[in-house]
Amino acid sequence: MSTEVRFDTGARAVRVIPVGGGKGGVGKTFLVANLASALARLGFRVVAVDGDLEGANLHTCVGVPQPPVSLADFVAHREEDLQKLLIETPTPNLQIIAATRSNLAVPQPSHARRVRFVRELRQIPADFVFLDLGAGMHPAVMDYFMVGEEGIVVITPEPTSVENAYAFMRAAFYRRLRLAMVSHDVRKIVTTAMDERNERGIRTPFDLMREVETVDPEEGARFVATMRAFRPRIVINEVRTAEDIRLGFAVGSVCRKYFGIETEYLGYVNHDETARRAVRERRPLGPAEPGSDAAVYIDRIARKLASERPRASAAIRDLPLDEPTPDPR
Amino acid sequence: MKPLSEQNHYEILEIPRTASPQEIERAFRLARETYSEGSLAGYSVFGEGEVSALRERAETAFRVLSDPEAREVYDASLVAAEAPEVRGAPAPEPIQAPPAPIEPFEEIDEESGEYDGARLRRCRLRRGIELEDIAGITKINPSYLLFIEEERFKELPAAVYVRGFVSSYASCVGLDPRLVSVSYMKRLAAAPAERGRSRFSR
Repeated sequence: MSTEVRFDTGARAVRVIPVGGGKGGVGKTFLVANLASALARLGFRVVAVDGDLEGANLHTCVGVPQPPVSLADFVAHREEDLQKLLIETPTPNLQIIAATRSNLAVPQPSHARRVRFVRELRQIPADFVFLDLGAGMHPAVMDYFMVGEEGIVVITPEPTSVENAYAFMRAAFYRRLRLAMVSHDVRKIVTTAMDERNERGIRTPFDLMREVETVDPEEGARFVATMRAFRPRIVINEVRTAEDIRLGFAVGSVCRKYFGIETEYLGYVNHDETARRAVRERRPLGPAEPGSDAAVYIDRIARKLASERPRASAAIRDLPLDEPTPDPR
Repeated sequence: MKPLSEQNHYEILEIPRTASPQEIERAFRLARETYSEGSLAGYSVFGEGEVSALRERAETAFRVLSDPEAREVYDASLVAAEAPEVRGAPAPEPIQAPPAPIEPFEEIDEESGEYDGARLRRCRLRRGIELEDIAGITKINPSYLLFIEEERFKELPAAVYVRGFVSSYASCVGLDPRLVSVSYMKRLAAAPAERGRSRFSR
């Protein structure tokens, strides 16, 4: 490989990248497993964390058949040190934290446990920590989406996935906004706006911004700053046509025009039978999987991530998690 | 950040003021697709009236910006409208950095010089070209184009035709036809077993 790009893999702060998207089956786990493997092959120390306590299968995608320990041990207070849950994978430089064997009665951690989890995540000695979020928009999932730098939203070119992705980004955005607001009254306005059928007639973040600016100009400025800092990355998976590829730009345009938020189109992954086979064979795609298109696309995304400077500002990273939500118990 | 009603033609098309005619056209095509009736990206967010309003805004923007004279007049009017702000309080920094032109994906670094079917497809997709587009231009049967990409050699006609198809394909996606066809035909020649095997073996 004569054109090998040399990445600076020297010590620096860990980059925590959550991967979500609302809908199940869009390839979040597949992307995490293979993006993590690709970065590990580039020489980075990578940890992939399965945050999907209700449908754990990241371990399978990276070729770890039976994880001896799992995040469930942390949730259930059987293990306090997250780093003790790290498991080696067949890929050098790649470790995982599995999410198997969870307590089905109480799969999601309590609020206090989530705070602890996020703090521990940032302590993991690695260059990249990927956090594979489950489907849906459980408060835990939304909190995790805000843990590190901007998360990745995985979308497939189908209506259900696109709808879910908007709902997901909207939820993440409002949640972050509410946290950034200081005044109690403004927080209440944001909470009202989170209900799409709210009575104040706040339909879009633009409307909400106007409303907040009227009530409290100082909060208005914070609002704009938060809006500006929120910049989810988009990956379109299962691409078959050139129009599917343009979906990433189209979603970006809608986000900009409707939500007033900027997105980054990180890349797309081709629909690929070899990729499906790799999942069936319970392993990540190989370094140069013969005939695997997906591996080439994922490698490109990995290189793009590696060459980007870590983005999140300290202010965002240190945001507390949202207020406790009652645990369904 | 401005609501749609206050956005100028450039903001509507999401292009910088310095956009080239090609960028303007590309942006317009994307906007037309994004804000078409029932578009995948827009249908769940925008109501029916909103989509058509957006499309009209995009069409107006394109009409003005794609006509050099009209664009010049329009640019002058923008500058005139902004002048007072510059003299007074500094204009607030816009939330939108000038969006990148719509060609973000670099050519994937290919390690070998070989052009296989998957690489041809990658090149085609990156340029936003559908198989039907190539079929329309070259009059080659679209299934043959698909077989070329999927390297289903035994379903392709005689090599002499395939060579022609591959070079036409290559010119359509902006690749060197000779380089590509030589490379592709080498692959085809190296896969004799594939050609002899029965159709039912797959």
